[in-house]
Order: sequence, then C-alpha cells, then structure tokens
Amino acid sequence: MTQDVSSDTFESRKEEWEKRRARYADKLRPGKTLSGLPVKTLYTKEDVAGSDLDEMPGVYPFTRGLYPDGYALTPWMQQMVFGYGTIEETRQKMEMMVAEGMEGYFGHKVFNTVYDIPCMYGIDADHPEAAGNLGQCGVHMSTGDDYDELIRGWDLDSTNFSMITGDNCLPALALLAAAVERRGEPLAKMHGNSMNWYPRIAVQDVPSWEPKWGYALMIDLIKWAKENAPDWNPVNIFMYGISEAGATPVQELAYGLAWGKSIIDAGLAAGMAPDDFIGRLSFQIGCTVNLFEEVAKFRAHRRMWAKICKDAGVVKPSNMHARVHVHTSGYVLTQQQLMNNTGRITVQTLAAVLGGVASIHTCSYDEAVGVPTEESHRTALRTQQVLMWESGLREVADPLGGSYFVERLTDDVEAAAWEIYDEIEANGGYLRGIETGEIKRAIDNSSYELKKMINSGELPVVGVNRYVSDEKENYEPFRVDESIEEKAKARLDAYRARRDDAAVKAALDNVRVACEALKSGDGSLMPALVDAARAGATNGEMMVPMREAFGWFVSE
Amino acid sequence: MSKEHIKVLLAKKKIDVHGRGTKLIARELRDAGMEVVYFRFGVVEEIAEAALQEDVDVVGVSIMTSGQIQIARELIPALKARGLHEVLVIMGGIIPEVDYEPLQTLGVHRCFPPGLPGGAVAEYIKRNVGTVSLA
Repeated sequence: MTQDVSSDTFESRKEEWEKRRARYADKLRPGKTLSGLPVKTLYTKEDVAGSDLDEMPGVYPFTRGLYPDGYALTPWMQQMVFGYGTIEETRQKMEMMVAEGMEGYFGHKVFNTVYDIPCMYGIDADHPEAAGNLGQCGVHMSTGDDYDELIRGWDLDSTNFSMITGDNCLPALALLAAAVERRGEPLAKMHGNSMNWYPRIAVQDVPSWEPKWGYALMIDLIKWAKENAPDWNPVNIFMYGISEAGATPVQELAYGLAWGKSIIDAGLAAGMAPDDFIGRLSFQIGCTVNLFEEVAKFRAHRRMWAKICKDAGVVKPSNMHARVHVHTSGYVLTQQQLMNNTGRITVQTLAAVLGGVASIHTCSYDEAVGVPTEESHRTALRTQQVLMWESGLREVADPLGGSYFVERLTDDVEAAAWEIYDEIEANGGYLRGIETGEIKRAIDNSSYELKKMINSGELPVVGVNRYVSDEKENYEPFRVDESIEEKAKARLDAYRARRDDAAVKAALDNVRVACEALKSGDGSLMPALVDAARAGATNGEMMVPMREAFGWFVSE
Repeated sequence: MSKEHIKVLLAKKKIDVHGRGTKLIARELRDAGMEVVYFRFGVVEEIAEAALQEDVDVVGVSIMTSGQIQIARELIPALKARGLHEVLVIMGGIIPEVDYEPLQTLGVHRCFPPGLPGGAVAEYIKRNVGTVSLA
C-alpha cells in the first residue's frame, strides 16, 4: 500500500522487485531447460545487452525467419506422414488427405509418404525377413506399377512427393524417375524430397552401408538430381532421428548442423560449387513439449546454418536458408492415459509455429500404441489447421522476437550448440563421429540420463510419474490386415511376370558394374539404377548388388 | 523364486528402427545385475537358436514397427522345439494393450508398455524366472 511509485527508472523498479521477492527468493528451485541450460524467473533488458535485436525476418542470418512476412503470405506446409498397406490403400489415403485440406505452399499438394521397413531396408515382399512387417508401418512400394500408381493423375508441377525411404533411397528415386518418364513427362518436372539420410546411422541402430560408401551414395544422388531434376530436394538432414534417439535439443542442434556440414564438405570435395547444391539441402527437426527451448532452437538453427553456409562460400542469400520440416517428437507421447497426448501435440505444434518453421507433421495421439486411426490422424491434421486459422498465429512474423527471455535463450542455445559443434569439427567432423561411435555414445548417455530423471520423478511426465492411473485403456488401434502380405506378393508376382527377365538381368549386371565404378571414383550409380528401373527391376532387386558392393555397417 | 545369475536375450528385428527403448531396457536390466545379450534377428527362428546357444533364462522381444503377433506365433513353438520349455518370454514396446491377451494365449508370459522404469521389468523377471513353463 505504501509502495513508492515516485521513481519510474529501471533501477528503482528492479530494486522494488528484489524487495518484493526477498522473503522467498532463496527457496525457489533453479529452473532449467530440457538441455540443462539455466533459466531464471525473470528476464529484462540487461539479459539481452549482448543480443542483436536489430535483425529482420527474411534477411541474413534469418534468426527471425526465412521470409519477410512470416506466414502471412502463405502458411506453413502441412506435411502429415502417412502410408500403409500396398499403394492401393495408400492411394486412397492420399486422396482423403487432399480432401481434408492438407496442402503445401500456395496450395501445392504434398505427400509425405513413409515406406514400410522391408522397403527401407531393401527387401521385396517375398523375402522371408519381410514377414510381419509388410505394409504395416508404411507403404510397401517396390515395383514400377507401384510408382505409376503413386503419381497417377497428380500434376507434377504442383505436387511434392516426399519419399521417406531408408537405404533404398537411390532405387526409390530411380523408380520414381522411370514412372515419370513412362507418363511422358520430363524429369525436370519432379518435385519432392529424397531422405538421403545415411548419416542417421550415427544415432539409429539400423544396419547400413559402410560410412565412406554411405557418403559416396549421398553425393551420387545429389549430383544426379542437380543435373536431371533441379527442383528436387536431394537431402533431408534428419535431426529428428538424433533427438528421438535421446539427444537433448542442444545436442540435436549441434549434431544436426555437423551432419549438414559433413554433406557440404563431401559435396565440395566432389567438385560441386557451394551455390550449386547447398541451397537444396533441407532439415527435419524434432520438437518436444519444452516450448521456449524449442522456439529458441529453431531460431538459433536458422542463424547457425546461415553462418555455416556463408563460411562455406555460399553467396546467394536464399541458398543459406535452413528450410525446416518439423516432426513433433513421438518419444514424449505416452501409452498411459492416451488422450493426454493431444495436449502435448498441441504444445509441440505451437512451439514449431512460434519457431517459424516451414513445414509440420503432427503426430497422432495414439502413436504410442501403433499406427494412427483415420480419426486420430485427422485430429492431428486439424490441430495444425486450428492453429493456422483460429489462433492468429499466422498474422505476425516471429511474434516472440524481442522477448527478453526468448532472445536470450536463443543466444544461450546457440552458444551451447557451437561448443559441441566446434568440438566435433575439431575431431574430424560428423563422418568421423559415425566411425568412432562417439556421437552415438554421447546421445545414448543423454537418453539414459533423461530416463533416470523420469524414473526418479525429477522430470514430471503426466500419467507416467504424476497422476498415475491403474485403469486399462484397452484402446483399439488401427490395424493393417495380415492379408496385405499376400496382396503385396501378388502385386510383385504380377509385375515380374510381365517383364523381360533377360533385360532385367542385364540392367542389374550394369548396376553391379556401376557400383564398382562409384567405389573407384570414376563413375556414377544413379543412371544405372534408372536404367534398371526402366527395365523393370524392383526395389529389392536393385539393393542386392548395392549390398554386395557397399558392405555392412552395424553401429550399436 | 530368486536366481543368482540371470541371463537375458534381448531381441529386436534387424530391419526395425528407433532402438532407443531397447537400449534403455538393456542398460536398466544390467543395472539390476542381469547379463544382457542384445541380438538383432532376421527371421524368428534365429531368436530361438540364439536363446539355445546363449543358454538364456529370459527372452525379451522389443517391438517398434509391428510384427508382434507373427513373432509370438513362431517364437514359442521354435523355443519348445529346441527343448527350451522353461525360458521366460516377455515383450515390450509399441504393442497395443489389446494385443496383450492374444500374445499371452500364444505363450508370451508378459508384455510391457513403453516408458516404464526398467526396474519394473527387472522386478518381474526376478520374481518369475525359473517358475514358468512354455508347455
């Protein structure tokens, strides 16, 4: 009541603030982000004294966004991951998603199609190790017929095909190219994205190529796309895989940028000019529920990538753009009290939008149980659409820019990430980190520390270590009927029966020769794969000579 | 029944992705004093063969990208065919709760949801190892 209101300078107000909290200030538990960065209860202009508050969106280094008016011109791309069964089932789903309003920039169609794990690994439907997984957690696509059906009727100029592949990345692109040709259209009309994310083996426990060949294959695809389909995005830097494996947001940022830098290095070493390929690299990043750190991560990411590109010799500003697709973290979803996940997903999506990313996939609340149902998948899409149309979030570019806290946290996240990044670079870069297992060990340790914090209750997780219930959920998830296995085999048999086996064999022999040429550094593989796809070779068949040539690397 | 030394074969399909949960469980079971063999399999028969060769007390199968019913259907007979009638069989990961009962009917002793403290799994193993039968 007797508060002194006569002085209104910052200093006197701060003094008054300190006085008012003196009684309990010592008892407050120090806050921290998920990465362990310290967080105070209040931020003021003193905390941003070292920050650059003069930045503008659409202008280097793009901390405030890639575009001058944020989402006002066109909203973020809604790129829901989908795909199950054979292409017949997935084709229906594509049409349903279009009807539900899923679209990319300026109304373009975007199909973010996930393959099943047999395809990703590179085995066809009749391989014994494919049993139990065909068409289950993705679509099974291995033949020319499958790819013809994928693109049937879609306008290639305004449709993006993002193909979530694994080791079959090159064969998948070859199969798509052959399908485009069969339709009588030029390859230059291809729009979309290859994952080309071989470096994920540093963190994900999947058997793959030996590291040096993994990079040679990545570069081969980049070069082929540059020459044949210049609008194609040939690389997805899969930071999501890094965070889902257990990395903190700061580690995800540091390792993801080092991953990107390793591709820049490999591309330059292969003789490409910086402005010829770096601008076509893009990112997929995770997003937890820890809202402010995630926003800071996306802002710092754009700034850091722009600096890395500039240092690498990129001149054109738009080639320094960190184009980011967010996949909301699946790890944070709980099987306990399933519907709680809708709350988590909303916060995750909000963080991505406030962070100004280009494209979003929202997980469905039931992904902790299995593949989403039609309803949960639609609700996930609608979550984006509610934020897009009802919240006002689209109106203002970088709405948190200038916030004392967010600006400071952006700087702190950046500084912490540079520290890890510089250390990796000093030790030979990301590629060497795969070979030594150093990155995996660091991330496995983070994953373990986080789990211990959840086990002890130090990190609250509602329904898991807080507000626990014994009630059974008995949730009936989406089911892909096992009869899909017979259907996939029948499609494969029908395709094989129609082709010229001698031509396929000859084309696969050429693939074998091209693999060796790639290894000796005097040839490329993609053209031979496209020829094989034209001749009728399947996904699994193209992978056989590749496996023979590029060996095995299991990192766990 | 308590047992001094417990050996666990923790199996995950070779082509499966996202190994975070499996590795956490491996570490947590080791924390609980067990010996853990982490094994990536191609076809289900290989799990039974490894269980026999490694002479394990427990077979744990980790699931990320489906296949649990097909695995259980083949695994239990394959274990029995090798005379492994006393091995404790558990599954965990992205498995719908409504599959727990069919999996138990096929012979799996217990399924666990993702994200549990590993101690809960270790405690179950300690309590049940050596007391079960696949017959």
